[in-house]
Amino acid sequence: MKNIILVGKPNSGKSLLFNQLTGLRQKVANFPGVTVELKRGKFEQFELIDFPGTYSLNSLSRDEELAVQKLHEAMHSDDTSLIVCNLDATRLERSLVFGLQVRDLARAHNKGLIFALNMIDEVQRFGHNIDTEELSRDLGCAVYALSAKTLIGLHEFKLALIKAGQSPEDYIPLANEQSDSPVLEISRGLSKRYGIQADVVLKRQNSIDDFLLNNIWGGIIFLSLMFLLFQSIFSWATPLMDAVEAVIGEGAAIATGLLPAGVVNDFVADALFGGVGSFLVFVPQIMVLTLIIGLLEDSGYLARAALICHKPLSYFGLSGRSFIPYLSGHACAIPAIMAARTIESPRKRLITMMTIPLMSCSARLPVYALLIAVLVPDIRYAGGLLNLQGITFFGLYLFGIVTALTVSIVLNKLTSLNKDMPEMPFILELPTYRLPHWKPLIHRVLTSAKQFIKRAAPIIFMVSVVIWFLGYFPQNGELQSSYLAMLGHWIEPIFQPLGLDWRYGVAILVSFLAREVFVGALGTLFGIEGADENIAGLAENIQADGLALGAGIGLMLFYVVALQCVATVATIKGETGSRRIAWGLFVGYGLLAYCLAFAAAQLF
Amino acid sequence: MTLWEVRNKQSAHIESVDPTLLPAVFQRLNEMGFAAGQLIRCLRRSPMKGPLVLQLGDTVYSLEQSIASRINVHPA
Ligand SMILES: Nc1nc2c(ncn2[C@@H]2O[C@H](COP(=O)(O)OP(=O)(O)O)[C@@H](O)[C@H]2O)c(=O)[nH]1
Repeated sequence: MKNIILVGKPNSGKSLLFNQLTGLRQKVANFPGVTVELKRGKFEQFELIDFPGTYSLNSLSRDEELAVQKLHEAMHSDDTSLIVCNLDATRLERSLVFGLQVRDLARAHNKGLIFALNMIDEVQRFGHNIDTEELSRDLGCAVYALSAKTLIGLHEFKLALIKAGQSPEDYIPLANEQSDSPVLEISRGLSKRYGIQADVVLKRQNSIDDFLLNNIWGGIIFLSLMFLLFQSIFSWATPLMDAVEAVIGEGAAIATGLLPAGVVNDFVADALFGGVGSFLVFVPQIMVLTLIIGLLEDSGYLARAALICHKPLSYFGLSGRSFIPYLSGHACAIPAIMAARTIESPRKRLITMMTIPLMSCSARLPVYALLIAVLVPDIRYAGGLLNLQGITFFGLYLFGIVTALTVSIVLNKLTSLNKDMPEMPFILELPTYRLPHWKPLIHRVLTSAKQFIKRAAPIIFMVSVVIWFLGYFPQNGELQSSYLAMLGHWIEPIFQPLGLDWRYGVAILVSFLAREVFVGALGTLFGIEGADENIAGLAENIQADGLALGAGIGLMLFYVVALQCVATVATIKGETGSRRIAWGLFVGYGLLAYCLAFAAAQLF
Repeated sequence: MTLWEVRNKQSAHIESVDPTLLPAVFQRLNEMGFAAGQLIRCLRRSPMKGPLVLQLGDTVYSLEQSIASRINVHPA
């Protein structure tokens, strides 16, 4: 099949164009070697590949380096028939610098090239028009004006794309008299001739910045946004979580009602509904978190947040760019560690990667939520806007962040990691503020839920089944005299100083596979014990069973700090190329977590 | 004077970019439009010597002190 590749600057509307062309029927593929995420989708008879956005073909950071390398590989491949270069029509000068580099590359490799002049709706809103025919003559390539948002010109563009895909040789950029002048000069000349005046376009952006980046307000708004983010995970998701819990409860009641009493019935109730079901309840929270991060990202606020954070983070040996991986680390550490590639400075990048695992990822959410439900009463303040559980939740997240910053300082002061590499400065482009398009956002939220379930469900299922068998036999449902209890008592001395009995010990140990397993494992264990009671409401079961406050707090702190995720260790090893760093972190954070839990159990 | 010394809401023309910068950084600055004769306008100074925000051509950039102090300008 013939490939069409899509390139462009970040924030130029490339992803939305890709979505419009492929209709969201896409898959993210990891390519061999170092993973670079390339989205692939079908457009008519072609395969459309979305390359990561880069500002230039002369790379500065690791992510650009990898993307440019992939682009060069694609240029040498016979499968690549055509390149589509996405331009931001509101910022012609800046987009064309990259566009002209791509044009030269396409010409050098005899590949066809089409320019998609995106965001034309905004240009038109300012009452401006761009003569694409003239521009296309000046560029020596086809240019189509369109808007991926309002869909103006999209139909014509699709027709042209099909035609170009069939005969790409007609679209190889033509040489013209000015092709030898420096890229910057040409793009400046062209944007003067065709583009819209910079001050007109930037007026709204700059006046919003006057507010959001204000020396006093800026910081307050930033902190409030972060606080609201974490509050909303709790308060917005609650109705959805209740709904999921009700459905699972109903399902369990129906299933156990249909099955005759006995081993099979117990298995379905304890392992399936108690184990797997108790973790499904937390999927809505993951969706809310993804939604908010997506909103911040698409609106253009994240770049401002990086700017606001740069100076404060630099005291800890980090960069303002560390903020984005840190934030997305609250959804999952793995993409966050990859996102650290955008940090130009090798040393700051490494320190960022090493501390990302301390961000409370969504896998910890079920654990926190369960323990908070057990330990913290549901008290509301300020008319229900704030609640104590939400605040505790925020406190746990904050604890992770503070620990990460402390570890960063220590690493920065005491180690010489990557100190021999050249230090790169902080240079940031501030994109225009935009209202995000809801469709890709919803798609992203659903994908995050799907991926979370797909990744966690099989392992939780297996662990639940194994634990159930070990916990149920040999005396059918007598947990305290089961095989598991024998094993558990053997490891109990490790967890005794933390004030936890063997059931928690088992759940902690198995959760080194993946943290969410903790909830499933406890769900199964308590399910076996409370055989004839209701299965739903693991939190109430634990409350009834009794969990000491100190031990509970210790458990929470343990889960904030411990690096219980095999996939994260593997990713750190892949990105740093160092097994020592990866396993060193695993052991180091494990010991620190244990000490903290011990201290909490003694203090409270 | 250097770009770092430009005050809030003031404009300046770029004179030169320190050629001893890392070649990759030098080239990137050039592609971003930091070239002799270009007009920049300082939009904002952050507290505690944080990055400055400036407009150059059709784009708004943020640069930290270590880089802004190596770009020479004269007031417009
Ligand atoms: N007005 C307008 N907004 C757009 C258009 N295309 C994309 N956007 C918005 O611009 C922002 C950045 O778009 P995105 O596709 O994520 O850019 P990318 O970083 O180049 O992939 C999003 O908020 C989009 O909704 C367009 O044609 N017109």
